[in-house]
Amino acid sequence: MNEKIGLEIHVRLNTKTKLFCSDHNNIKNAKPNSNTCPVCMGFPGSKPVLNKEAVRYGVMIALALNCSISSKIFFSRKTYFYPDMSKNYQITQYEIPIGREGYLEISNGKRIRIRRVHIEEDPAKILYPTNDLNTSEYLLVDYNRSGMPLSEIVTEPDFSDKEEVREFMDKLISILEHLGVFDAQADAALRADVNVSIENGERVEVKNVSGLENIERAITYEIIRQRSAYRLNGRVERETRHFSEVSGTTTKLRAKEFEEDYGYIFDPDLPIVKLSDELIEKIKSELPELPDKRIERFIRSYKIEKSFASILVNKDKQLADFFEESLKYYNNPESLAKWITTFLLKSLNWHKLRINQTHVKPEVFALLIRSVDENKISDAYAKDLIKIYVDTGKDITDMIKSYNAINKEDIEKIARRYIESNMKAVSEYKKGNIRAIDFIIGSILKETKKRADPKLVKEIVIDLIDKEEASVAQ
Amino acid sequence: MILLTIESFLERNQNLKREELDDIIARAKERSLLIDKEYDAFITLNDNLAVESKGILYGVAISVKDNICTKGLRTTAGSRILESYIPPFDATVIEKVKRAGGFIIGKTAMDEFGFGSFSINCAYKIPKNPNDKERVTGGSSGGAAAVTKAADFPHIAIAQSTGGSITAPAAFTGTVGITPTYGRVSRYGLIDYSNSMDKIGTIGKDVFDAALLLQIIQGYDPRDSTSIKLNEESYIDSMNKEIKGFKIAIPKEYYDYNYVDKRVADKIMDSLSKLEELGASFDIISMPMYKYAISAYYIVAISEASTNLARYSGLRYGLQKQLDSSLTFDEYASIIREQGFGEEAKRRIILGTFARMSGYRDAFYLKALKIRKLLIDDYKRVFSRYDAIITPSMPVIAPKIKDALSMEPLKVYGMDIMTVGPNFTGMPTISIPVARVEGMPIGMQIVGDHFNEAKIIRIARNLEKVLNYE
Repeated sequence: MNEKIGLEIHVRLNTKTKLFCSDHNNIKNAKPNSNTCPVCMGFPGSKPVLNKEAVRYGVMIALALNCSISSKIFFSRKTYFYPDMSKNYQITQYEIPIGREGYLEISNGKRIRIRRVHIEEDPAKILYPTNDLNTSEYLLVDYNRSGMPLSEIVTEPDFSDKEEVREFMDKLISILEHLGVFDAQADAALRADVNVSIENGERVEVKNVSGLENIERAITYEIIRQRSAYRLNGRVERETRHFSEVSGTTTKLRAKEFEEDYGYIFDPDLPIVKLSDELIEKIKSELPELPDKRIERFIRSYKIEKSFASILVNKDKQLADFFEESLKYYNNPESLAKWITTFLLKSLNWHKLRINQTHVKPEVFALLIRSVDENKISDAYAKDLIKIYVDTGKDITDMIKSYNAINKEDIEKIARRYIESNMKAVSEYKKGNIRAIDFIIGSILKETKKRADPKLVKEIVIDLIDKEEASVAQ
Repeated sequence: MILLTIESFLERNQNLKREELDDIIARAKERSLLIDKEYDAFITLNDNLAVESKGILYGVAISVKDNICTKGLRTTAGSRILESYIPPFDATVIEKVKRAGGFIIGKTAMDEFGFGSFSINCAYKIPKNPNDKERVTGGSSGGAAAVTKAADFPHIAIAQSTGGSITAPAAFTGTVGITPTYGRVSRYGLIDYSNSMDKIGTIGKDVFDAALLLQIIQGYDPRDSTSIKLNEESYIDSMNKEIKGFKIAIPKEYYDYNYVDKRVADKIMDSLSKLEELGASFDIISMPMYKYAISAYYIVAISEASTNLARYSGLRYGLQKQLDSSLTFDEYASIIREQGFGEEAKRRIILGTFARMSGYRDAFYLKALKIRKLLIDDYKRVFSRYDAIITPSMPVIAPKIKDALSMEPLKVYGMDIMTVGPNFTGMPTISIPVARVEGMPIGMQIVGDHFNEAKIIRIARNLEKVLNYE
């Protein structure tokens, strides 16, 4: 097995305005074609004006990915006809991108090389009435997205499997979020062209795959498809394929010899932009703390395990922020890190939510974990509360406060009652059937409504039975 | 009636009474209609003539080449594909003219998208030369020049040049055309032909008129990233200064070129003596790079044009057809483009697409850009020693329309020999009429270094005073 995978990743930059006009960039739920102007609609006579903020964002990304920065950049026209293209050419960067020859290291020590980082405009959004290109009789075009800034990040084909891809993507997104240039929740925030080849096979490009999950699905499907194609035909053709989100499969778009010729020319409406050493140094000096540094700091300052620190930071920047915010209310990093990276993350993953998409508040979460650590709340109940909190967003403060973990004496009282009324089970237990007392334990837990810790209950029950036996023996 | 110059009209226009202004507007409207009838000079006449402010152009009619967007007034760029297009915004130059008190009289005829040297590649009517209706006006700003020549009311034209489209019609009609330095006037609202060369300029009856309008429309515009921040110059204030001591370069290659009508070249040489009388001197020089200019210019122009025209695909604006679900997007766009574009537009799209295809891009498009750089160096070398370069504006007098229509495309492109050099390199030029041959006017083209409009306007104004061309 010798797969090679490379990615051309497109991420939406969260600048205030579009790349070449002053329409808003971060609009949500806007009416179709309401966030447009003559420039992004490609009206005759309109002219693009470069958004400098987007260039700055591009430089930040390139620096964070260890690229060398070009001292001069310019824009080119990539010409092809498609209904989502307002001008039937896309303004992008061709010869000289903002950044070149960088890398990003993943946990196995491998450096995934970055070939280039550049910025370009997004086409409009196409809506298919049947949600499918092949069965729709017509399509609708929404130009609200037209001209929004994208950064294209191209890797070398350095990935060996989709696990490496997933880890790289998590880390990349975390970097983009730490830079403050990316909003993962934006419409079509992340898309990629995925290049996959197997040993002795030609490179196959899967176009325009949307979101992390689909990128993995496309890779899985392509590897299986190429292996069986190779077994059947002894070769894998070089071609471009389309990924269907509905079926999770890819279909052939065109063969190599029918690749588009984009006829690049320099965009004569946009002058050369100089990126001086001073400017680059200034941007570099203003870069925020990036994931690797943050993980180091978490380990050093909070004395938490590396695995927890890595999850907190690389999984999702918001999770790391949430962790640090929670610490302000309960200064126990070890405990918070453990609870966040296990039960909280599990609940979030279950709903495919990120922490900032929920109503979970750091102060409430901190209170909950403090209560657990002070034995005021059982672990079991705390897990339930986390689940409820993530599910419903309901404020659980009162539930935490009104809950008193039941004390040992009270448990013993209840336990005696159940032991006396279940003597048959007790004698079974004594004969060696250990599970016979599960019913007694379950009944006690039920009566105490999870206020009692199951482990403690079990200990008490066994202890009482043993004691009783001892007293009878006397 | 006595034809008033704008220079003298401006002495009284600020005191015009409302009724007098209304009379001027009504007369301009009526005369424009007649001019159009006579010379097919307009594509669209403006029905809603209105003066929006009392500025320096108060009461002056402004005609606008039809590739410049006018809000609410049809703008076709001379093409069927934009036959019904009404722009939702004004070009920056239109905003400036309106603020200065000018009123937009109509949109003038042109070669489709500016693709032509004679104004015969027209989707609508072919404009006729007011000096001789059987002859071309020159292109592509032919309508602008014809209206200027024929107008007997205060009028100046906004024209536009990519490779000579102001100089050519100015020369053929006997008017004055100024093509400013690339970047001097905002292109915002100009329908693109070749963005790295397109320049909005002016055509007037005399140097004063053309310079006045340039002064009003020039200036930096944040909506056009290629417009330049400069102190805006007053050409009117400086144009009457004498030109004693000016050094003029006469590049011999332009006078010996094989398409040049000897009579035209001789007339230009003759008028140089007038410059000497004014205290200027001239030297015959050599600009050997000139022979690459036409090929390189056309490669860049059509490469850019073929991308600019890609947007016309029958969506959102322009020519549209009933949608038919049996057609793919490509098929639909092909039908629209087949019907909407004229022959020369199609020729330039095909050639331009070819010149930038991978495999040819290095040999054509990128090489042409290198030649532009060398040509700029060539001009800069001359301008380090001379104040201006003088050539004929056009190698010939205006041909008959029927002869022009049957001319080989390559020969037509050759007609641009005088103008492509400065246009390709972004140098400002002014064309003034200096003599007649066969009763037809011939123009002298004065080329200046980048942003030296004031200097060439001054030379033209001084010469105009002593020439007595009419």
